[in-house]
Amino acid sequence: MSSVPLSMYLMLALILFCIGLFGALTKKNAVIVLISIELMLNAVNINLVAFSKYSLHPGLSGQIFTLFTIAVAAAEAAVGLAILIALYRNRPTVSVDEMDTMKH
Amino acid sequence: MLQNAWLIPLFPLLSFIVLTAFRRHTGRLAAVIGLAATGASLLMALMVFAEQWQGNSFKAEITWLEIGDKIITMGYEVNPLNALMLVIVTLVSFLVHLYSKGYMEGDSRISVFYAYLGLFTFAMLGLVLSPNLLQVYIFWELVGLGSFLLIGYYYFKPEAKAAAKKAFIMTRIGDVGLFIGIILLFWQTGSFEYDEIFKAVANQEISQTMITLTALLVFVGAIGKSGQLPLHTWLPDAMEGPTPVSALIHAATMVAAGVYLVASAFPLFEASQTALTTVAAVGGATAIFAASIGLMQKDIKRVLAYSTVSQLGYMMLALGSAGYTAGIFHLTTHAFFKALLFLAAGSVIHAVHTQNIEEMGGLWKKLRLTGPLFLIGALAISGFPLLSGFFSKDEILAAVYADGRYGLFVLALIAAFMTSFYMFRLFFMVFSGQPRSKQDGVHESGWTMTLPMIVLGVLAVVAGYVNTPWFGTFLNDYLAQGPVELAHEHHGPLWIPIAATTVSLLGILLAYLMYAKKSLSRDWLSRSFPSVSDIIYNKWFVDEAYEATFIKGTKAASCGGTLIDRYIVEGAAEGTVSAVQLLAKSGNKVQDGKVQTYGTVVILGLAVIFAVVALTGGYFS
Amino acid sequence: MSSMLLTLLIFSPLLSVLILLFVPSDDEKTLKMTGVLGALLPLIAAVTAFTAFDTAESGVQLEEVYQWITYEVFQANGELNYSIQYHIGADGLSMILILLTAFIAFLASIASFSIKEKLKSFYILFFILELGMLGVFSAQNLFLFFVFFELTLVPMFFLIGRYGYLNREKAAWSFLIYNGIGSAILLIAFVALFMKSGSMAFDQLKAVFALPEADLKEMYLTENFRMGILIAILAAFAVKLPVVPLHTWMLRVHAEAHPAIVMIHSGILLKIGAYGMIRFGLGIFPEEFKSLAGVIAVLGVVNLLYGAFLALSQSDMKKVLAYSSVSHMGIVLIGLAALNEYGIQGAVFQTVSHGLISALLFFLVGVLYNRRGSSQLHDFGGLASQMPVAAGLLLAGGLASLGLPGMSGFISEFMAFLGLFEVMPVTAAVGTIGLILTAVYVLRAVLGVTFGRVKREGTVYGADMTAAERFPAFMLLAAIIIIGCYPALLSGLLGATLESIKLGLGG
Repeated sequence: MSSVPLSMYLMLALILFCIGLFGALTKKNAVIVLISIELMLNAVNINLVAFSKYSLHPGLSGQIFTLFTIAVAAAEAAVGLAILIALYRNRPTVSVDEMDTMKH
Repeated sequence: MLQNAWLIPLFPLLSFIVLTAFRRHTGRLAAVIGLAATGASLLMALMVFAEQWQGNSFKAEITWLEIGDKIITMGYEVNPLNALMLVIVTLVSFLVHLYSKGYMEGDSRISVFYAYLGLFTFAMLGLVLSPNLLQVYIFWELVGLGSFLLIGYYYFKPEAKAAAKKAFIMTRIGDVGLFIGIILLFWQTGSFEYDEIFKAVANQEISQTMITLTALLVFVGAIGKSGQLPLHTWLPDAMEGPTPVSALIHAATMVAAGVYLVASAFPLFEASQTALTTVAAVGGATAIFAASIGLMQKDIKRVLAYSTVSQLGYMMLALGSAGYTAGIFHLTTHAFFKALLFLAAGSVIHAVHTQNIEEMGGLWKKLRLTGPLFLIGALAISGFPLLSGFFSKDEILAAVYADGRYGLFVLALIAAFMTSFYMFRLFFMVFSGQPRSKQDGVHESGWTMTLPMIVLGVLAVVAGYVNTPWFGTFLNDYLAQGPVELAHEHHGPLWIPIAATTVSLLGILLAYLMYAKKSLSRDWLSRSFPSVSDIIYNKWFVDEAYEATFIKGTKAASCGGTLIDRYIVEGAAEGTVSAVQLLAKSGNKVQDGKVQTYGTVVILGLAVIFAVVALTGGYFS
Repeated sequence: MSSMLLTLLIFSPLLSVLILLFVPSDDEKTLKMTGVLGALLPLIAAVTAFTAFDTAESGVQLEEVYQWITYEVFQANGELNYSIQYHIGADGLSMILILLTAFIAFLASIASFSIKEKLKSFYILFFILELGMLGVFSAQNLFLFFVFFELTLVPMFFLIGRYGYLNREKAAWSFLIYNGIGSAILLIAFVALFMKSGSMAFDQLKAVFALPEADLKEMYLTENFRMGILIAILAAFAVKLPVVPLHTWMLRVHAEAHPAIVMIHSGILLKIGAYGMIRFGLGIFPEEFKSLAGVIAVLGVVNLLYGAFLALSQSDMKKVLAYSSVSHMGIVLIGLAALNEYGIQGAVFQTVSHGLISALLFFLVGVLYNRRGSSQLHDFGGLASQMPVAAGLLLAGGLASLGLPGMSGFISEFMAFLGLFEVMPVTAAVGTIGLILTAVYVLRAVLGVTFGRVKREGTVYGADMTAAERFPAFMLLAAIIIIGCYPALLSGLLGATLESIKLGLGG
């Protein structure tokens, strides 16, 4: 068995999640925001895998769930990029600051 | 007959309804309808009186309203006092109806006038027949309404409008006193009925303070209606109405209502010495106060108005001095000679088209009938021997003297002097000497106007003989059958009538010297005491004082209230609105449309929730 | 069918709504006819219901109960069944107010003839409003009451906002916001009552709160809770009545809405406030109401005097009448505070009588406004010479308003004060000042309009009232005088209801 304890995986996932969150909330470029969201999703994936291995009844369900997540994330990234491109066609910018039409 | 007494007020009411409903179509018929109605009432009243004279009383009631276990009734009652009043009211009203036919000739709203007269008469008759205080109050207010409508009959005149308003409001102030008095009596005795209340008073079921309080409150109502101090100011202003109306108001209805109320609630007053003293004092003060104002008025009707106030003061003085019969007696005689004086004054005004006595003069030869009749009235009111006023005034003075109110007795004597002086000042200025202004086409009035005056003139002479120390005290014996225990008849010392006569003759003599003979200068008073005459001429500045205090005060309170409403109440509401708007605006700022800001807020919120849960151990624990 | 009588009565305006939908909106004549006949229908139904009503019997009559909403809640200590019923009925108090509603609504439908535009939607809203009002007075549980209560709010908002004078929209918003807050408070109180007592029906609530103190404690219905609910309910209805200082919305509505709407508003909607106070305040919480009586009496006197003082210096006739409404609602409070038969009966009489009188006066002001294009006092004068009938009616209405005996206003004033003098003579004596002030402001306004000379040359006012204008006015005046001369007509209906309230008060 590996000697790396669960808490380390969780710590890694936490750091990754925080980096992703920070990026998602602060970056101006919409592409980077999307990438940051991917980071957060991956942090979740790490958690799923880690718990799947270290839980009281280890099994494969967590890891299979991860595969689902990756698939969904890919789809989501595709949709997100599509929206971004559609937006880009209307307003030639990828800066998140200028995308404030929700106010209206 | 007695059980049909309820029909008496209904005839005038019917006349009111018919004339109001068909006011466009009646035209000249209006007078006939009015006369027929009051004539029928008069006949019935006479029959009722005749039957009552034999000692029959009658009372009938129906349930009007049930509240819980209390039953409030309405009905009518015939007793000696109100049988007499019925006759006086219907008689004077009938004569006034007749007189108005001539006086109001050519007025385009004649049917409205007769309708109002009918309503007024109805209200007064209803008041007189009432067996309980609630019903009295109801008709009491209706009487006020009738006088209000009639005073404001010339609605387009600003003075008439002001006078009508004033009459209603001033009497309303008194009415509120009566209102409270009635309610308090109800809670003390459990009834509005005169009988029940008197029984409770007699059995001492009510505390002495309560008796005094309620009696005084009832008296406040009488003060308002009968124009006593300090609520007298409406009565002279009420002269804005047509002259026949003044006769009706001053002789038979409205102002008589106050005296009648005190008389019919007399057992209540009798139970409280304080109340009696107050009534006597207010009456005495009013008598001399109003007489003093009457000395200097220039308007023929206003002089008569102040004399009414003064004479009503006399009646109150009599009632307050336990002179029940004396008060009623004077009410009766006064009804006749004051109605006569007003109708005669109306006849004069009708002839010369002015009310200012400075512009009259020398009318004795031109108004062959009005002049002597006015003289009869003036002599009667001055207490000239053997005329009706002489007997009733003498009775009052005797009662006051017997009651031991010597101060008031002296006041009453002075007032008597003033009365005869100003009445004859009026007489001489109007009828003697030479015309002081151009008088064209002055002629005597027609028979519809002179006939009522003649009837009243006869009554003003003979009415006194119903109660004299020499020929018999019919009135006293008659009233003694009523609910009021008449202790004894005051036959004061012989010097009282002599003194009263002397005083009144002195007044007439003085007036003669000043205004007919002109051997005394007319304006010695205003020259020697300018301030005194100024005060009297301006009616003691009572109106001005009320204007400065109550009216200004109410207006100020009203304006202050408006300001409070606009700035404080509305301000608070506006403040709340703007506070909400401010909150909304600051909330609006957070909504900048950027997803990242929303996300940040969400995350921070989540963090706060976690922190709270971590620190407190959770809400649900 | 007679068992469905009340439901038919309440929903009879819907029929007219349905018919109106098929009438072209520019066919004014048909619209008016439908409007009047449609308003006549509930009146006929109300009179029929009245004849079916047994005045001697106490309690709620013409009852209809149907299961409506039921749901179950599982709790640790067992299963709870909550049910809300469609429960309507009428006791004497409801019956009087239903009759009043149908009567005034009928007359208001005639008074609406002066509306020239958007008449179709006017009548549709009007009938929905009437439905709501009829429902409010016949609902027998809180939920139904609330539904109907809200149902009056929405059409009224549009009626004020669309048909009125210059600032009508602001008035409509004030109306909506104040009353919205009022009903929000009411809703909270009702929900709290429902959750704690498990019932919404009046009779059950009454029974629950009549239980001994110990039982109430067990149900978590503590004294504080009851007091709180009562205050919330009173506050909610105080907005409606209105009680100073919550009255400003009502002034705006009265000044800006169309006269026909004001007739309804002043005549009936304000009465919902009084009705609510009697039904929920006195009916459900008699004990708590007793301890608040002093406060309510003072509030009543304040209302009476405040309204009277302010009416004195208004320059707009409609404002004078609006403040006089404030003043007259004070008498309702005074009567309620007396807590005896006299006072409560006085309060009920006042709601009815003020409904009639203010409807008459506002109608007349509307008539004058149509001719003169103004309701400012200084534009008027000498009305009696050109419009004697209108002037006479105005004077009669004014006299009724100042409590002249022989008219309904006197009976209510008299009984309310009679009641209050038994318990709080001093407060009542202060209140009687209001009687004088009422005379002053009424005469100032009425004489200012009818007496004096016409302000401008020529015919300022035009022809006297038409037949369509005379009819409602004379009907109202007749009702006022009939009640004033023979009040036993109303008090007979009330007797049984008052008896039950008196039982609640413990003798």
